[in-house]
Amino acid sequence: MARHSTGDAARAAPKFLNLAAIRFPVGAIASILHRISGIVLVLALPLLASALGESLSGPEGFRAVLEGATRSWYAPLLLVGVWALVHHIFAGVRHLLMDVGIGSRLAPARASAFVSIAAGVVAAVVWLALWAVR
Amino acid sequence: MRVFSGQRAWLLQRFSALAILVLLVLGAFTLAGADGSAYERWHALATSTHGSVLIVAFFVSMGLHAWIGVRDVVLDYVHPLALRLPLLAVVAFVLVAVQIRVAMILMGAS
Amino acid sequence: MRLRIYRFDPDVDERPRMQDYDVALRHTDRMLLDVLVRLKEIDDSLSFRRSCREGVCGSDAMNINGRNGLACIQPVSELKEPVTLRPLPGFPVVRDLIVDMTQFFAHYHSIRPYVIDDRPMPERERLQSPEERERLNGLYECILCACCSAFCPSYWWNPDKFIGPAGLLQAWRFITDSRDTARAERLAYLDDVYRLYRCRTIMNCTEVCPKGLSPSHAIEQIRTALVKESS
Repeated sequence: MARHSTGDAARAAPKFLNLAAIRFPVGAIASILHRISGIVLVLALPLLASALGESLSGPEGFRAVLEGATRSWYAPLLLVGVWALVHHIFAGVRHLLMDVGIGSRLAPARASAFVSIAAGVVAAVVWLALWAVR
Repeated sequence: MRVFSGQRAWLLQRFSALAILVLLVLGAFTLAGADGSAYERWHALATSTHGSVLIVAFFVSMGLHAWIGVRDVVLDYVHPLALRLPLLAVVAFVLVAVQIRVAMILMGAS
Repeated sequence: MRLRIYRFDPDVDERPRMQDYDVALRHTDRMLLDVLVRLKEIDDSLSFRRSCREGVCGSDAMNINGRNGLACIQPVSELKEPVTLRPLPGFPVVRDLIVDMTQFFAHYHSIRPYVIDDRPMPERERLQSPEERERLNGLYECILCACCSAFCPSYWWNPDKFIGPAGLLQAWRFITDSRDTARAERLAYLDDVYRLYRCRTIMNCTEVCPKGLSPSHAIEQIRTALVKESS
């Protein structure tokens, strides 16, 4: 199918959208992570509701929730949730401040993006470290 | 759904975010300032009027914030209507179910 | 200098491909556009838009080593080899580095890029104070090169419905122009989940504007104006 009529050309027009070949600024990284962390948190919301119920069912239920979060097999996996929460809050506060003009110029915006990314990573590492020395 | 139109959704997203932050801080302060073991403080918060209102407000804010956020993601990436509508419907259902579940938990706790 | 350039000829190619070039530069080849023109001596089929060669027409916007920029003001000395050139991301490719700008210009037209004043013409000029004129700085200089919109993920996902940073910056240019009388209508037009509110303040636009403008700041001001208007 080497020859196209002019009518076909518009339909067949390719686009360059190879994300791996695009060099994203730090703000774009912070932004996509903000979106991913948001989705993680939405998925965690029903789990949070379950934990609420369990924690209020009595002292045993309360202890079970805490034990689950700190000593169970899935406790280290919660680092994803911890990362998501911390990153989303830091990146979210960054957006709230930029909306009212604080730090919305390029230089401070890049710095706050870096801080947001770092905060999430640090939180996840701390969580993992606390679990390791439990 | 004109309810969540342009500026309105954007503002609601910001307000719900602020509400969540404020409620988290209020909750933390309440728990820190209370007496008794961890469980006793938590239980007291959840069964008190002001505490259960805090918890409901938290989940409602989370639900609204999540709805607007997920809707933005869907509007960006999911274009075919046949996929978009069922997806949004499922998300709405889950978010509403969470609110009902939370209300039932708080009413049942004593 | 070694380059890798995106090639696509709709009359011949089924899909785009990358082509390698190695060209000897003269000491007078200072900007990337000079290199591209020299490449035409080796391969005359290579196609790209260019005109002013001084960064004011916006014709030679392209993706240079992963970031959008103007070839004519991109110093060769700053480029890591192999210099990888691709067309503006997300825009339909006409041929090689030439993209279809129709949608981009349609968004520009949709925001009514002209002063609107339907009252009887004044006897003399429509005066502006220096402060009022100052508000147009950082907005009027846009050359519509599309580096910003073509680097905006929100524009990639909804190029037909989201106006994009360039269009929105121009929208603000006219909203904030003291001679314009259609402020309320302009703002109402933008108050839409797609037209304005696809913007997530990613700020890719401001990162790549070759004129140093800040579409993200203009968009921030539109949002503030909308809030003020409604309260």
